[in-house]
Amino acid sequence: MLEIRDLIVSYGAIEAVRGVTLTAAPGAITAIVGANGAGKSSLLRAITGLAPIKSGSVLLDGKDITKLPASRRAELGLAHAMEGRRIFRQLTVEENLQLAWQFGRRRNAWADALERVFVTFPILKDKRRVQAGLLSGGQQQMMIVSVATICNPSYLLLDEPSLGLAPIIVQEIYTFFTERCREDGTTVLLAEQMAALALKVSEHGYVLRQGRVVREGPSKELVDSGLVAALSSAYL
Amino acid sequence: MEEFLTLLLAGISVGAVYGLIAIGLNLTFWTTKTMNFGQGSVMMLCAMLTATLIARGWPQALSILAALGIIVVLMVFTETYTVRPALKIEGSMGWAVSTLGVGIVLQGCAALWFGSQALAFPDIIFSAIDDVVVFGVHVSLQYIAVLVLALALVVVFELLVRGTVWGRAMRAVSMDSDLASVIGIPTRTIVLGSYIGSGILAGVSGILVAQIGGTVDPAFGFELVIFGFVAAVLGGMGSTTGALVGGIVAGVLQQMVGGYISSAAQHGMAFALLILILVVRPQGFFGQREIVKV
Ligand SMILES: Nc1ncnc2c1ncn2[C@@H]1O[C@H](COP(=O)(O)OP(=O)(O)O)[C@@H](O)[C@H]1O
Ligand SMILES: [Mg+2]
Repeated sequence: MLEIRDLIVSYGAIEAVRGVTLTAAPGAITAIVGANGAGKSSLLRAITGLAPIKSGSVLLDGKDITKLPASRRAELGLAHAMEGRRIFRQLTVEENLQLAWQFGRRRNAWADALERVFVTFPILKDKRRVQAGLLSGGQQQMMIVSVATICNPSYLLLDEPSLGLAPIIVQEIYTFFTERCREDGTTVLLAEQMAALALKVSEHGYVLRQGRVVREGPSKELVDSGLVAALSSAYL
Repeated sequence: MEEFLTLLLAGISVGAVYGLIAIGLNLTFWTTKTMNFGQGSVMMLCAMLTATLIARGWPQALSILAALGIIVVLMVFTETYTVRPALKIEGSMGWAVSTLGVGIVLQGCAALWFGSQALAFPDIIFSAIDDVVVFGVHVSLQYIAVLVLALALVVVFELLVRGTVWGRAMRAVSMDSDLASVIGIPTRTIVLGSYIGSGILAGVSGILVAQIGGTVDPAFGFELVIFGFVAAVLGGMGSTTGALVGGIVAGVLQQMVGGYISSAAQHGMAFALLILILVVRPQGFFGQREIVKV
């Protein structure tokens, strides 16, 4: 179980997350929705150990990991597909995957891990020796989620996995992690501006505004309450 | 002709050492975008310690290893207390002042312990007068040995960086340290390792230069680190091939100006040419212009 208690993230004078408490139910997808700047990424980055935590705590299976460096959290089975197409551009697809496998919590053999990626995304097999920076946006996103899941993480944080992608690719990425969640029992925390999409696949949802949770509940209820329409109109 | 060839070899040989110094600076620049401005004192200290230990009757190899061991401790201190605190604050230039400060303090300490006049540096492999005659030209064996050693170290360095897991992890940290730590790479260890590696390269460079010059004094490293910096910038910050080529260009320029024009003008002229090169090619010989991230 992944729990966040009274978390405050601040970048100097800017408080991006202002006292968030939430729980990601084991083996399920939990959505965090909210407009641009609501603090979704800061929240996820605090969970992985990248954003500066001012106070509050992050608990993984009841263990307080708030003070652990990011690399140690990865060993505990926490994976994070960050926003903004973060990849090692000069390394090949296979090198990107291998690096994540070598330094992650290694439980599976490399050949098996790679095979599983290639079965899921055959295009990555064709591009395995290509520099990751040369892939298309969709292929990069496939590689990013593969990098994040190569060591079969127990917890998977996804930050805007749909951003800037063609609908068909979005479909593929979403199918990938919903199935992964079901097959492996991975706990998924999904941050999305596209509330409709995220609430459709998740069981529970949190709505973030200016760093605070303004609503939460079963995703279905959030959708029925007209939240999606309200959030979409907020962008326009 | 003989003079020209001698100057050329001296330039290439010393230049390869400048390249080593530059590679050491690159190493920490990759991982943290910082570098040890006190690197000159590291070179000086390593050479002085080696000379002192050998003078006390220690075996040469052991003296060198002991000096390098002390350098490792020094680099751990430098990274922990001057670089790491500054890195916690985005945009802080505190490391520049602190690393320079450590260097200056060390130089002062060296002057206290060893006195401020030059110590003689013992001949380790060849003496300054050993030479071979190739096509009727006297070629200094010492220069050859230094060149070969410097090139061998560059090759070993490249093999480590390209061929090992830790080398690749270091490249990963240099490309995107957040992403590296998210996938489980212990970035702090890598940064510390880059400082240690940088110190070892500087220490070895110090020994090589002291071997050529025959003496070492507390101010010894100052000029060297400037040439190392020149080599790094000239070659294109961060490029290993660039560092080597940049170092050799700087070394040859320095020797030629010193030999044919005047040794007083050596530095001024070399730098004037350097500025000219950078006007034409600001990214250096092998540097890539930074591609703006989308
Ligand atoms: N590294 C940073 N330094 C300073 N402010 C930041 C940084 N990252 C995010 N912020 C600010 O924190 C707030 C929340 O941003 P973010 O967490 O990226 O929200 P979201 O992912 O919901 O768009 C914004 O006001 C943003 O400007
Ligand atoms: Mg975001």
